[in-house]
Amino acid sequence: MHCNYSGSALESGQFIGTLRGRKALIYKSPQTRRADFTHLIATIRATLPVCLLVVGLAGCSANVTMDEPTIPAPRVAKIPVKVALRIPEEFEHFVHEENVLGKESWTIDLGRANATFFTQLFGHLFDGLTIIGPGDDARDFQFDALIEPTIDGFEFSVPNQSKTEAFAVWIRYRFRIFDREGNNASNWTVSAYGKSRKQGLRGSDSLRRAAVLAMRDAAALIILQMDKATSISKLAGGALAEPSVRAARMAADTDVNSAQDDSEDDFGVFAIGGIDDE
Amino acid sequence: MNESHPRQRAQLIAVFGILLFCLGGCVTSRVEDARENVTGLGEGEAVVIMAKSYHQGNETESDYVSCIENALGRGSKGLRVIPRQQFVDSLFPWFEPRTAPAETKGLTKLMGRPGVAQIVEDLGVRYIVWLDGDTETVAQGGSLSCAAGPGGGGCFGFAWWQKDADYEASVWDLEGYESAGTVTADFSGTSFLPALVIPIPLIARTQAAACKGLAQQLKAFIIQ
Repeated sequence: MHCNYSGSALESGQFIGTLRGRKALIYKSPQTRRADFTHLIATIRATLPVCLLVVGLAGCSANVTMDEPTIPAPRVAKIPVKVALRIPEEFEHFVHEENVLGKESWTIDLGRANATFFTQLFGHLFDGLTIIGPGDDARDFQFDALIEPTIDGFEFSVPNQSKTEAFAVWIRYRFRIFDREGNNASNWTVSAYGKSRKQGLRGSDSLRRAAVLAMRDAAALIILQMDKATSISKLAGGALAEPSVRAARMAADTDVNSAQDDSEDDFGVFAIGGIDDE
Repeated sequence: MNESHPRQRAQLIAVFGILLFCLGGCVTSRVEDARENVTGLGEGEAVVIMAKSYHQGNETESDYVSCIENALGRGSKGLRVIPRQQFVDSLFPWFEPRTAPAETKGLTKLMGRPGVAQIVEDLGVRYIVWLDGDTETVAQGGSLSCAAGPGGGGCFGFAWWQKDADYEASVWDLEGYESAGTVTADFSGTSFLPALVIPIPLIARTQAAACKGLAQQLKAFIIQ
């Protein structure tokens, strides 16, 4: 019989408590209580090493799952372009693992955080936004410009690695921008950084916070530099050229080889302490 | 049941508490301010407490910022404090770690951006206080070892550590877009941990003391 009891002793041999969720008066002789206590001690002794082992093993790895971020509406004028955003498959479930040699393993699961992040951000930033799935044909949609974001790099450091009290996250996004005919208009990278002091025993919340800060950092850069870096607003006036062979390929194959796109117009932006967006 | 037991226990706890309080790690402090302009807070005006950007190497702890926020807002003469996250979100992306102005000379341009001055006015923010600095362990020593087994456990030894909390608060006046001055707080505390079976922590609450000290001086600095 499973007996879950809690409560206060009334007198020797009696105990009022709960039995399967109901209050009950259970009679227990002093001998039985002593036997129960001995049994309890024996159980604790037997399970303690196992518990310590489990706690020790759990301490060797940590999994952090990101909540979907919320990007506030930016205090800037919208860019007058209707864009289509192709969400790559990796944005639906992005997981990154970092091993601190011989010490611990950290895994961060961004889930759909990137998909949500870019949907919110571009919704705020552009006049019109259409979401295109990884398998969709871009020719079926109306837009001025098509943006394909990808994650070029994702790294993080934990206090054990950096010998500081902080978690840091670096994200490098790449944006390929096409006109409505599928011509490559721009190829732009944004390197973002987030840092958060360790709080709590494990610091999982701090890593999560650092990742959110890195995404907000990317958002700030994209908002302030997107048009300057990519001239995307010029695409509202029409396509750069006639449809090319590449256009057909873009529609058919969403997983464009990045090596081919690492061209001369690939550049990044880095500014601190107030951005001069003039 | 003997009634003297609870009384004795309470006395023992009280003595132990007083002993801990008296023996608690000692903290030395120095708080100074340097005024550049006249300050004051009108009806409905508020302050925002921000941490300087980590992009500039600052490592101010978020719980320290929260502590200052709470300490400034507390009491009968408490200031109206706008939560920093509300302020940052309202003015996104202008107060992100990368984009926030590093100097007061960037304020004029920032306030000239569409909607920014209006939001600042709507929130009633008069001063932005930028916190710089952190609390770190600067020295430690001693030796303490603990052992545990199925039959019990215990610790033996003595350990100590010294923490320095150095913070600077720069006060920016959004009325004249100028710096009102700075308040600095340097606190140093040493904690001890003697252990004879049971460890007895004598902790110096350096950061908490630095929070209280800086907040008091900041409040006095702003409302004069």
